[in-house]
Order: sequence, then C-alpha cells, then structure tokens
Amino acid sequence: MKRTIFIFLVTGLSLAGCTKHNETPEIKLDEKIPADSAGGSNAKYTGDFSNGPYGSVQGAAKIYVQNDKYVLALENIAVSNGPDLHVYLSREVQPVNFIDLGKLKSTNGNQVYAIAGEPDFLAYKYALIHCQQYNHLFGSATLK
Amino acid sequence: MKNSFVAIAVILFSEVTYAQQTPLPRINQFVDIAATLGKSEGAVAGSYVRNWRIGKKRKWEAGLGLRSTSYFGTKKDFYTAPGRLARSTTTPFIIVFAGQKTENWDTLTVQRPFVTSFNLSANFGYNFSTRLSGGFNIDLIGFSIGRKSSAILTSNGITRTEAVTKVAAFNVLLTGDNDYGSLNSEFFLKYKLSERWAVRGIYQFYFAEYKSTTIKQTAPDGTLVDRFRNKANTFGAGVSYQF
Repeated sequence: MKRTIFIFLVTGLSLAGCTKHNETPEIKLDEKIPADSAGGSNAKYTGDFSNGPYGSVQGAAKIYVQNDKYVLALENIAVSNGPDLHVYLSREVQPVNFIDLGKLKSTNGNQVYAIAGEPDFLAYKYALIHCQQYNHLFGSATLK
Repeated sequence: MKNSFVAIAVILFSEVTYAQQTPLPRINQFVDIAATLGKSEGAVAGSYVRNWRIGKKRKWEAGLGLRSTSYFGTKKDFYTAPGRLARSTTTPFIIVFAGQKTENWDTLTVQRPFVTSFNLSANFGYNFSTRLSGGFNIDLIGFSIGRKSSAILTSNGITRTEAVTKVAAFNVLLTGDNDYGSLNSEFFLKYKLSERWAVRGIYQFYFAEYKSTTIKQTAPDGTLVDRFRNKANTFGAGVSYQF
C-alpha cells in the first residue's frame, strides 16, 4: 500500500513540476527587407542595437512603410538567447510604456515585424529586445 | 466499453448495499495532500479536516479544516477584482450568477505568479458507501504569502510594464467576486483503499489575487484599482490518511 501511495505521489509531483522551455529559435532567418523601386533603402527611422544589462544584441533596427503600413525590420541581428524574448517599441529604454510586436522569431538574421496603427515614433523611439517573463532588457536601439 | 459501465454500476451498487449494513464512525478526521494541473498552471495543497457525520444513517458530513495551497503558473492573466466593477451586482451569493461587466476589466498579466495561502476551510460530504464518498470544500478566511513578479497591465489596448506585483495578503470568502485574496475550493470523489488510506479525484477552482504597486487601473468611475484576480480551473488527485 505504501509503495502505491509513494508512486502516486512521485508521479503527481513530477507532473506538477513540469516547466515549459521558452527559448527563442536559433535558425538564421532571411525575411525580405522592404526596399524602394530602385532597390535602395527607404527606412524612415534607423538605429543600431547596443547591449542591455542582461544580454547582447548586434545589428540594426529600421522602420519602413510597406503597403501603407509601418513595419520594423531587424537587420543582420545576433541576439544571445534567453527565455521569452519579445520585440518592443518603447518610450523608455527600460520599458514601461511599450508596444509589443511579438515574440522574437529567431536569434539570427533578417526579420520583419508588423506594427499596428501609426505610433508616434518620436515618442516610441526605442526598439528593444526584451525578456518579458523576467523583465530583463537584452538590447536597445534608438530610432532616429 | 459497455462492459466497463456495467462493472462500475455493479461496484457502486454493491458499495451502496454494503453501506446500508455498516454504520460509519461519527467523526471523520484526516490529513490530505493534493496536486492539480491546468494550462500553464498548477497547485499543490495540504490540509487537515475534521468532519462530523450527521443524520441517522450518518451519510452526510460537515466540518472545518486548515488548508495550505500553493498556486503557480506562467504568464497568467489577472482581471480587475473589485466586485462592483467586475459584476452587475454585489449582492452576496447573487453575485456568483450575476452578469460580467467585461467593459470594466483590465488585464494584469503576471509573468510568474506563485501564491501560498493558509486558510480555514469549510468541508461538506456525502457517503455513498463505506468506501465511496463525494463532497465540496471551500476556504473561508486566512492569509497569503508569495513571490513578487513583473507584470504587464493592458488597458484599452495600451500596454505598460509593472515591475513589481505582489500577492494580496488577506483572504476572506464573501462569495464570488466580492472575495478578497486567494481562496481554494474543490469538488471531489473519494475512494477508500484501506482503513486509513484513500484517494481523491479533484476539480479545483482557485481564486488568486495579485496587487500592482506602481501602475494602477483607472476605472470608469475614476477610482484607482490595484487588485487583480485569476480564477484557475484545474483537475488532479489527492491522497488522504484517516486517523
């Protein structure tokens, strides 16, 4: 009887202890970056990433207009991996007021994120790679 | 499948028949541990219960207990808690069935909630037989401790980071969204394996409450709200030791 109870308990606690791994994929992406008809860049705002206190981010963030909608392109980025990494447009370097563009698709390559509406880029002037679950900043780019 | 139903029916019928012949003890006193799981959340509870069997046949029982419940999760949404904002009426008991005023709700997404509550509980049960019983229990009053966590408050589509949310310390059952704090309740079926040991199948409904510290919701009536509630529906099992 005691053995049955022990097995029951161990099984239950094992199930309760399961955690979901939440790291970002590392496969290199090569999404198409918007370009003007001459093949040049028509970025409205650009900025280079610098490292935050909890990670490293290299590459550039650029705001484009694509089909009359704003998009954020992350170009040639390389991000140290972490749990629950998101892409933000933020009013502050350490985000308080922000727009969440979604989970970071990959730690490497070229990526494009849709931006809903027409935010004021003079106010939302930081592109961030942010660990949402632990509120840790991995990197930021000031958009100018 | 048909044979399974017949077998279960035969077992239940034989248990009920047996119960009619054997009176149950007046006092039902036991300790219990239980674990339940839901989507990205779970709970572990330990309790002591002392019930008194009532009625001539001693089939019904009721009593009090002490229960500690630890609730944990990842990225759980907590909604505006005060009953006057969450529901169309705050009348005790009626509020449980009252319409939801979702237009008043803001969402506090707590990234890593972990609450441990210590509460006095009320317990009710019915003995179908000497082996099989079922019942309901609910926390009444107590206190909670827990982990601080960052969160995101979403209000009218605007998202803001709340760096520190904390567990609401005081718990009291006032029915439905009138409640304060973190309170556990269970529906269960219990089967005795031996004189001392029993197992339970459990449906658990757990209210957990977190409070924001710096960023607050501005309600339509102009008041500032810092209380947010998550209602967790989970299923699981428990083990009881009777003494």
